[in-house]
Amino acid sequence: MAPSFNPRLVQIPPGVQCFVGEEARERRALEHVVTAVFEGWDYDEIIPPLYDYADVFEGPALAAKTYSFVGRDGSVLALRPDFTSLLAKVAAGRLAERKAPIRLYYAGEVLRYELPKAGRQSELYQMGLERLGGAREQGDVEVLAIAAECLSALGARGAVLALGHVGVFAGLVAGCALDPARVERIRAEVESKNAAGVRDALGGASVPEAVAEALVRLTRLAGGKGVLDEAAKSFAFSSAAHAAVDELRATVAALEEAGLADRIAIDLGEVRGLDYYTGLVFRVYAPGLGFEVGGGGRYDSLLARFGRPMPAVGFMLGLDRIALLLQRQGGLPASVRETVAEDDARDVGPALRRALERRASGKRVRFGNGNG
Amino acid sequence: MAEAAAATKAPLTVALSKGKLLSGSEGLFSRLGLPIPNGGGRRLVVEQGDARFLFVKDMDVPTYVEYGVADCGVAGRDVLLESESDVYEPLDLGFGRCRLVVARLVGSGFDYHRASTVRVASKYPKVATRFFLERGVSVEVVKLAGSVEIAPGLGLADCIVDVVETGRTLVENGLEVVAEVATSSARFIVNRASFHARRAEVADLLARLEGLA
Repeated sequence: MAPSFNPRLVQIPPGVQCFVGEEARERRALEHVVTAVFEGWDYDEIIPPLYDYADVFEGPALAAKTYSFVGRDGSVLALRPDFTSLLAKVAAGRLAERKAPIRLYYAGEVLRYELPKAGRQSELYQMGLERLGGAREQGDVEVLAIAAECLSALGARGAVLALGHVGVFAGLVAGCALDPARVERIRAEVESKNAAGVRDALGGASVPEAVAEALVRLTRLAGGKGVLDEAAKSFAFSSAAHAAVDELRATVAALEEAGLADRIAIDLGEVRGLDYYTGLVFRVYAPGLGFEVGGGGRYDSLLARFGRPMPAVGFMLGLDRIALLLQRQGGLPASVRETVAEDDARDVGPALRRALERRASGKRVRFGNGNG
Repeated sequence: MAEAAAATKAPLTVALSKGKLLSGSEGLFSRLGLPIPNGGGRRLVVEQGDARFLFVKDMDVPTYVEYGVADCGVAGRDVLLESESDVYEPLDLGFGRCRLVVARLVGSGFDYHRASTVRVASKYPKVATRFFLERGVSVEVVKLAGSVEIAPGLGLADCIVDVVETGRTLVENGLEVVAEVATSSARFIVNRASFHARRAEVADLLARLEGLA
């Protein structure tokens, strides 16, 4: 009986990718550019395990997207859906004696249950760093400067870091006694910059008029640094929101002094990841690609989970998106490779000797079947 | 501050629906001094001044904008709710008003609160599914591409989730509204990256549209 056709031996499961030859070479080259920048800022590479106990990756944002499985000993394990939790665990545990700030970077795959869409895959290659502990002001500006340098080093044109601060939205809704479902609806509308939607979401809630006005205004507070002056005036009544704006203003001032003014934009309507981030948040955009190539922010409460409470800030870039951006912006420079063919079917020994000599002088050799 | 316009000389690309929002969109852009020639013709890409217009199916407008092949676009709220696209939605343009409703056959007595599983026919499977799941009702969606109104009468579904403007089509097919899912109108939507990386151009267009709205 003839063996039946098994499509799984040909098809690739949705969400994962396979890179061959030039594509693979290109990705390694891009990765090298980015990690060289990380090394240049004195960050240490960490190669964490591909899976860890599922408990490490807790949190509403990740739990639903984690591929978990039961280990031989009955413990629940999960393929890493992100690097930050793993780095936090190492910083709090194995590196407990190391003085803060601890500077760590990574480059590798994360796995998330996600349908392929708009540059998202289940298997993502991320390159990022975390600055654990240390002064906030220095940490925030350093991470932003490194992100900007990565984009320049990669040759991306017109890249913009859009900066926000979760303390603005959180400060405004704090003390309003809104139920979490309502806060989420308001947040989603602010996120869409939908002023009318924010008004709808506030409908019937007993929120002070000043707060309601401020939440609606958040949908328009994006642009140059003038936005921060406007925000400072509008949010004078909320000390928490005002403090967040001041913090962001100091960060922007420092970046301007350092000559990075043309790389930054303000977006106070950037309100994603409120349950995770605690301060600065940012996303990296560039003309030519419709979605961000990376982003990050400050997460001062995560480390406490691992028993070493300390502030932290970090960011990551997605390799797929970087490659796509550079391709859209005018193509990646094709690598020039000279190959010497060494082929003599009758005299294999001497041919191999010549090939070895060429290898010793650093040449790229293709051995055998040169005419094939 | 970032002025990335210099980084790209591509015209600002606007995705418009070929469907029911077309005449409203054409009116809007002609009032901005950007009349779209041949908007209803066969050419699907039209350049006009500094802008380029794409004419696509209404359900596809959010997709073009989400992926950034269009910097912005005009899409109905109904379509945005169905597409769940990650785009900015800064302006209600006010035209193309309609409602997304649940409708049943007149006299059928169908009550989704009492059904164990609702069979619903719709062009909006995600909207329909969300509506019933949020109310604790199991749902089976029969996805149709059009003429949804005939489904209950033929026994294909217990009810429909669809858009209504005047309600005449419902009446003519013997249907009545039992619940409102959402109200809809045309929205100006913007790609996230374009919003920041082409801020000057996008902000200018947004301000001019706001002046009209």
